[in-house]
Amino acid sequence: MKIRNYWNLRDFGAKIWEKSNRVQRIIIASVSIFLIALLPFAGNGILATPISAYDAVLVYPVAIFVLMALGLNIVVGKSGMLDLGYVAFFAIGAYTMALMGTLTGLNTWEIMPFGIVFAMIAGVLLGLPTLRVRGDYLAIVTLGFGEIIRLVALNSTWTKGPNGIANIPMPPNIGPLEYDLFNQKVFFWTVLVMILLTIWMIRRLSVRRPGRAWEAIRQDEDAAELMGIPTLKYKIWSFTLGAAVGGAAGVLYASKNLFVAPEMFTLNVSVLILACVVLGGIGNIWGVIVGAVIIGYLPERIRFLSDSRLLVFGIVLVIVMNFRPDGLLPRKKREKAITKKGVN
Amino acid sequence: MSTTILSIENLTMKFGGVTALNDVSINVNKGEILALIGPNGAGKTTVFNVITGVYRATSGVISFEGSEIRNQARFKITQLGIARTFQNIRLWGEMTALENVITATDVHKKSGLVGALFGMPRARREELEDRKRALEMLKFIGIGEYADRLAKNLPYGVQRRLEIARALATSPRLLLLDEPAAGFNPSEKVELAALIKKIRDTGYTVLLIEHDMSLIMGISDRVIVLDFGAKIADDLPSKVQKDAKVIEAYLGVPADAS
Repeated sequence: MKIRNYWNLRDFGAKIWEKSNRVQRIIIASVSIFLIALLPFAGNGILATPISAYDAVLVYPVAIFVLMALGLNIVVGKSGMLDLGYVAFFAIGAYTMALMGTLTGLNTWEIMPFGIVFAMIAGVLLGLPTLRVRGDYLAIVTLGFGEIIRLVALNSTWTKGPNGIANIPMPPNIGPLEYDLFNQKVFFWTVLVMILLTIWMIRRLSVRRPGRAWEAIRQDEDAAELMGIPTLKYKIWSFTLGAAVGGAAGVLYASKNLFVAPEMFTLNVSVLILACVVLGGIGNIWGVIVGAVIIGYLPERIRFLSDSRLLVFGIVLVIVMNFRPDGLLPRKKREKAITKKGVN
Repeated sequence: MSTTILSIENLTMKFGGVTALNDVSINVNKGEILALIGPNGAGKTTVFNVITGVYRATSGVISFEGSEIRNQARFKITQLGIARTFQNIRLWGEMTALENVITATDVHKKSGLVGALFGMPRARREELEDRKRALEMLKFIGIGEYADRLAKNLPYGVQRRLEIARALATSPRLLLLDEPAAGFNPSEKVELAALIKKIRDTGYTVLLIEHDMSLIMGISDRVIVLDFGAKIADDLPSKVQKDAKVIEAYLGVPADAS
């Protein structure tokens, strides 16, 4: 029992946060963000990744996994729909960047809205017919959708099939910040900004009507609909917002990787991102972030184990899930007194 | 005469070969407490499910305040002004009591996702209104002190009352209560009876399924009896009590009478 309490970082953090006033909160948040932004400079000590370049690992997989896991968490964690095809939206974003970047001469920031919108459109198109089914059935349909997008990319001539698309332009420099493949700290900061925007969006929506509707749908969809919540509409919104985040991640990934090919967008990615959400704690954004960092970073950290590293990685996941079945930082609704609080 | 708020005409509901409701007609008058009783399996909850759109009736007309609602989506029916509670409690357990009620008040609100995201003045204002209204609703039902407790941790009786509060929060004109007194002890039943009367006196119309006869006879303005999917009585409580068909449905025919 003692050990459990000691391990309860979530409540520990929440307590500090609740006791702080506005100014203290701003300080805590900015100091944390600043420290995280310094991460690319911490590559020489215990964090170093043998074999892979540390700064590259920080961007992909780690930061992009965090971004995608946050996006998937809107779908899986907030509204309780199991989506096994999340990679599709990532692929749509990436291919949008690849095609528009090589064909039109627009830069990454100009293409970003297109990538997001295309992913959202795909989300609506997929959502309208499929979100009427629930649970396992939805998982199967989305799994199929993920594969369809990959197979389209693999078999179409306009996507250059299995050869993929090369020579995707890098993002233009922002003032003194230069995007450089050999020192990817600016990429990391870019993804960090995107992560912060996503966190802001999720936190904002969670405490308002959409968040409540999602929560109600997750807990009892029939009761939600009978209490007047247009469940299909809110489910599609949730799906679409998740897709938007995935699309944005895809655009940046393509622009950093300079090359996309269908084999990057296999079911594996969907499953890994889902693993981030589940390992960290479904529905809790801090948990999801921790989960994504571990799943992105650990296989690179133990790369010196070479062939057995995935085995070790798997064993670690099994052990963690055995001891913490709800994830590392599980969601817990505290009985907080919102009657006394103002609107934030 | 009082005006009709809900009229069900010649309603038939079949599940495959099973006829759950057979040509049932029910009129609910504005401002009354109408009780729907009958032995187990008579089709009482089916009536509720058909009204609220859970099931699509096989045939018949259901009109609420003059408009046909038989083929409306479930959330639309609630938005039109019919709210219900559930026989087996179906609260959102991991929300607090207040959040349960606020979520239900969202029904008629206009500000959408974008408004919520950017904290537009309207969304902000509605948020505060919702919260105030929800708290008032909890106090009206008499469970104000439980506002910040998670629904799943509430005592059973409070959960039942919270279901009523949540249904009322959708601002219905017609409230459907499905066995609200199930599992209550006698003193809780007395309190509930007073509450239902208070709800009626505030201006709501109540359609109620209940098994407890003393509760029914105490508060209902009118009683409808269903048996095997058909309506067998529709009268004042005192008359229904003496109705031969009703007695037969509940107790059977005495052996020596046949």
